[in-house]
Amino acid sequence: MADLNISGVKKLYDGKQVLHGIDIAIQDGAFVVIVGPSGCGKSTLLRMIAGLEDISEGDIAIGGQVVNDIDPAGRGCAMVFQNYALYPHMTVRENMAYPLKIARLPRTERDRRVAEAAAILDLTPYLDRRPAQLSGGQRQRVAMGRAIVREPQVFLFDEPLSNLDAKLRVTMRIEIRRLHRRLNATSIFVTHDQVEAMTLADMLVVMNGGHVEQMGTPVEIYRRPASTFVAGFLGAPAMNLMPARVQGGRVVLEGAGGHALTVPGLAIPEGTAFTLGVRPEEIEVARSAPLMAQVDLVEELGGSRIAWVAAAGQELAVMLPRDLADTPVSRLGLVLPAGALHAFDLASGKRIALTLAEAAASQRAAVAVA
Amino acid sequence: MTADLTLRPAARLTRPRAAPLRLDTAIGHAVMVILAVFCLFPVYWMIVTSLRPANEIFDATLWPTSASLENYAHALRSIPVWRMLANTFAVSALVTLAQVVTGLLAAYAFARWRFRGDRLVYSMIAMTWLVPFQVVMIPNYLLVANMGLLDSLSALIIPHFAGALAVLMLAQAMRSFPAEVIEAARMDGAGNWRILWQVIAPNLRGTIASLAILVFISTWNEYFWPLLLSRSPENSVIQIGIQMFMTSEGTAWGPLMAAATMASLPILLIYIVLQRQVVQSFMKSGIR
Repeated sequence: MADLNISGVKKLYDGKQVLHGIDIAIQDGAFVVIVGPSGCGKSTLLRMIAGLEDISEGDIAIGGQVVNDIDPAGRGCAMVFQNYALYPHMTVRENMAYPLKIARLPRTERDRRVAEAAAILDLTPYLDRRPAQLSGGQRQRVAMGRAIVREPQVFLFDEPLSNLDAKLRVTMRIEIRRLHRRLNATSIFVTHDQVEAMTLADMLVVMNGGHVEQMGTPVEIYRRPASTFVAGFLGAPAMNLMPARVQGGRVVLEGAGGHALTVPGLAIPEGTAFTLGVRPEEIEVARSAPLMAQVDLVEELGGSRIAWVAAAGQELAVMLPRDLADTPVSRLGLVLPAGALHAFDLASGKRIALTLAEAAASQRAAVAVA
Repeated sequence: MTADLTLRPAARLTRPRAAPLRLDTAIGHAVMVILAVFCLFPVYWMIVTSLRPANEIFDATLWPTSASLENYAHALRSIPVWRMLANTFAVSALVTLAQVVTGLLAAYAFARWRFRGDRLVYSMIAMTWLVPFQVVMIPNYLLVANMGLLDSLSALIIPHFAGALAVLMLAQAMRSFPAEVIEAARMDGAGNWRILWQVIAPNLRGTIASLAILVFISTWNEYFWPLLLSRSPENSVIQIGIQMFMTSEGTAWGPLMAAATMASLPILLIYIVLQRQVVQSFMKSGIR
């Protein structure tokens, strides 16, 4: 187990830069999820930690030691690959024992570790089978077993659940989390699935276009997304984003209705245009309200319902409350509570303080960091 | 037929209904039968001739009136058939082994490493495959002669130690080997040598088997190169032995056919045992 420090890491492929200076500090034993759309550089970063890709610039240190020039096997990392990457010609036992065999561990120690990992992962009955005779979930567990037996300092997971069906994915997700609780080893998990990201992470790193957009606990990031990108990426359905402007001391939605909202302690200067955000589940629904919406479509999710509505010239997603659950609705009154609103700069998409209170809080946070 | 099917409905379920004989299938089959006869008849004629007594050797009958093994006895008396078969086997087996080993090493380099001029070297190797052996025969001969290896089995093996076909086939197979598995091996601490022999090679068994069969058969059937080198029958392969029945005084067709039959038998056996594999390897390599 060890902490992991990524500082100023860049990656260039044939002169084209794909990672633009990544800085992430990971504490010993933390479960970090790196999430982002495909092509954002998250897998490249993971492979650089593993040693499978060269580091063009910057340093990666594991347990205080810079590992830039150490080969993959010497870094104390074990990796679980998306396609399992098991050795097809070896049995489960041989697959799991292979790294130990290369490390010239005595046979008794090899057998002990394999038996222990197999017991943790419920693989004991399958030890003499070959990968082709296993189901997808079992193969994934063998891949994890091969990582566990090495007793690595850092576990790396490269989208390990994306080839599994939805139900198995949930099961394996919980298993991975349990495994982490049991082994308490520093883990870095790359995914494009926001549910995996939210549920697994102690610390979440949201990446986009080779940059880190935001880092923090899943709840922090969900509650205070640092940019429109993060706001739109996490949450299903995503946060509603709409153009707005400060006019006459109130927030006015651009578009047909010109609906105005009163925000106590508004911190944005008069006349500024910005992007206003509100999560579907934060919008309050009433029979009638100053902001009326035309329901276009209702999505039934069983436990909840999502209405896609047109209001103030915008398409918004609204989570319908339970008491409205079974009534057919065509028109809704919407209330956007001042406390649930987010504001983002129109040009950069970065979060700006909507209220004086928020401005003060972020100032305090900035001082604390400094 | 109909009555039979009605009486036993179970048979109807399990047995697919015979396709109605259509004209185009009939024509197709007829063409295939003719082609098969074309291919098989010389082999048949070889065997039949080998069984004919000397006075009937040029008979055009389809079956010898008095079959005998006299020609075989004659062939075994006049040339060291067993020794030559053993030589041929040893040469073929060693060439096959050598080409598989050198092919694996070269293919790994081409499939896994990027180095200056890698593509150029690869295409040059591919080009040597297109050059007929007769072109390099004389330089090879001089080389072997200078090494003092004329009339030795080593001379039959050494020029074939590496083959373009082996490198191309194995490199192709390695390129389609999943990169993740190799990366997993790297993370597990395996170096290039281990990755090649413990991870990749065991998973290329199919390709290696195909390659081995192709190389073995073509080495077994090699004629020109041994003809150029061999002096004594003891250091010759069976194909040269066959040729020894063609002398300036005439050709002893009966013993020649007997020796040819004996030379074909081992290959025929390999074919019978590995039929499916052989056909696949010919299709895979895209030749013949």
